[in-house]
Amino acid sequence: MVTLSTMSDAPLTHRILLAHCEETLDGSAYFAVSPDIVLGHEATIALLIDRLRAAGKRVFAPERCFFAADHFVPPATAERAAILKKYLKFVEDEGISTDLFYRGISHQLLIEDSRCLPGSLIAGADSHTTMAGAVGAFAAGFGSTDILGLLATGKVWVRLPEAVRVDCVNTLSEGATGKDVALLMMQHFGEGGAGYRALEFVDHDQGLSMADRCTVTNMAVDCGAKNGLVIPDAVTRAYLIERDGGIPEDMADWSTPGTEYVDTLHIDLSVVVPSVARPGSPADVTPASMVGGEHVDQVFIGSCCGGRLEDLRQAAEILTGRRIKSGIRMVVTPASTAVYRAAVEEGIVSILIEAGAMVTASACGACGGIDKGILSAGDVCVSTSNRNFRGRMGSNDARIWLASARTAAAAAVSGQIIDPREVTS
Amino acid sequence: MKPLVEGRALVLGDNVNTDILHPSRFYSLDDKKVRSGFLGAVDGRESDGQRDLTGAIVLAGENFGIGSSRETGARVFVLAGVQAIVAASFARIFYRNVMNLGLPAVVCPALAGYRPSDDVAVRLDLISRLLTVSGRQFPIEPWDPHWQRVCDAGGLAQWLGLSTSTHKASQDG
Repeated sequence: MVTLSTMSDAPLTHRILLAHCEETLDGSAYFAVSPDIVLGHEATIALLIDRLRAAGKRVFAPERCFFAADHFVPPATAERAAILKKYLKFVEDEGISTDLFYRGISHQLLIEDSRCLPGSLIAGADSHTTMAGAVGAFAAGFGSTDILGLLATGKVWVRLPEAVRVDCVNTLSEGATGKDVALLMMQHFGEGGAGYRALEFVDHDQGLSMADRCTVTNMAVDCGAKNGLVIPDAVTRAYLIERDGGIPEDMADWSTPGTEYVDTLHIDLSVVVPSVARPGSPADVTPASMVGGEHVDQVFIGSCCGGRLEDLRQAAEILTGRRIKSGIRMVVTPASTAVYRAAVEEGIVSILIEAGAMVTASACGACGGIDKGILSAGDVCVSTSNRNFRGRMGSNDARIWLASARTAAAAAVSGQIIDPREVTS
Repeated sequence: MKPLVEGRALVLGDNVNTDILHPSRFYSLDDKKVRSGFLGAVDGRESDGQRDLTGAIVLAGENFGIGSSRETGARVFVLAGVQAIVAASFARIFYRNVMNLGLPAVVCPALAGYRPSDDVAVRLDLISRLLTVSGRQFPIEPWDPHWQRVCDAGGLAQWLGLSTSTHKASQDG
């Protein structure tokens, strides 16, 4: 077996994938890997249960399954309650832990979990699995049939993606956030510009917090990337020490100064400004100050992309001593119960409620048009989530703008899309 | 799988994402509900998805199927009776989903920017690797040997011996 250290000049993505190689095929670019973690939730796992049963197979390695219940919880319809019931029975029958159920969004739970480590290979039954790359894991999304094969055999076939290095230098200026960096990345690549590629971020000046990094790697898939990861550094180490009480022994050196990449992108964090993506495409990005006061009906702060404690903090900073403008509904959905509890303990939830926001249970909720914040025809929503496609949050004739929590909260206060620095100045 | 596929075109554009191809409100374990959501948020094409599309061959532009991994967004093409999807390029997860379900996904870079009319005659020759649209011929890319064996078996579950049925007979997502 190839070890990570024998390929010091290869992109980290390649090193991780090859270290997990189990089988090759002559003449093929594809090889089978054995992931350390398989992420799943009720909406995608439910699509394979009957097929696994019909094949007479059991789950290959239940202990590797990281299964949450996050899409349809608590269920808003009888159909979804039935899907959840089917999923719960399957998980219990297979001896998979249900500890993660009702604890929040799977991707957020993964990043909070001590099993999610630099060098891990994570295959998830959801596209935003890429987020786990924030700690230096290889993490990518797959569809239900790929996961069916993975659960039955322990393997999935992949190939080495071309790798692009994204150099981040300096630190963020006032008002700018990791979401604005993610939107800048989207603007650069477009929806397909990083297609099939690995994005490897080098944060030279440690200008991005772990929360910022999560938001950026979360959206790597939205510009087409197979995965996005941040080369582990001091921020990673500090995060792991706080989360796990220590770092793995083989954390020695993940830097890849000699690595050749097929392309590079240079981002000067100091010039990133509060930005928004116009309705219809997460890559149609413009500075918030250029929007010209678009009227807003709903503000949504939540999702695996924008529902972390840091996002709620940004919103609370804007909303402290201010009221949400009359008539605007502001929905805040903490990404996990850990985030929720911390937000309660910090007094953030009180500030949000005082300002007029509705704080909901930790789940995917409004982001995927599931519940608790569905849009009608003509509604305009500012959302901290990752997708603003037509019909994504309800009516095909609603309009969704993507922004940071800071910009979203500023919209809630002012009733229109503006640069958040206008509110705080 | 059949080496020669002939049918009428269903033409879609660039960056067509799974959320508009199949909005999440049509996610279900019920095939009828899944089928009813086809093209549900593709601007100006919403009603086209309700037509009888049996035998259609999708012709699309760049980055087809970007977005969610929800496999209902790929399965709906099977349920609609689509025979093959040919695109200038595919989004990664969608490509895998389609191929895994036994529906040929074929890369044809020359389709970039080419938008023929719906319902024109399409001929897809997987042996000669030629796509013919209204008499015009375009080369298509070969499949990697891994995908060739998956396709030959009729899908990933079939290749892995997890299913003996073809995708059309399968009752479950």
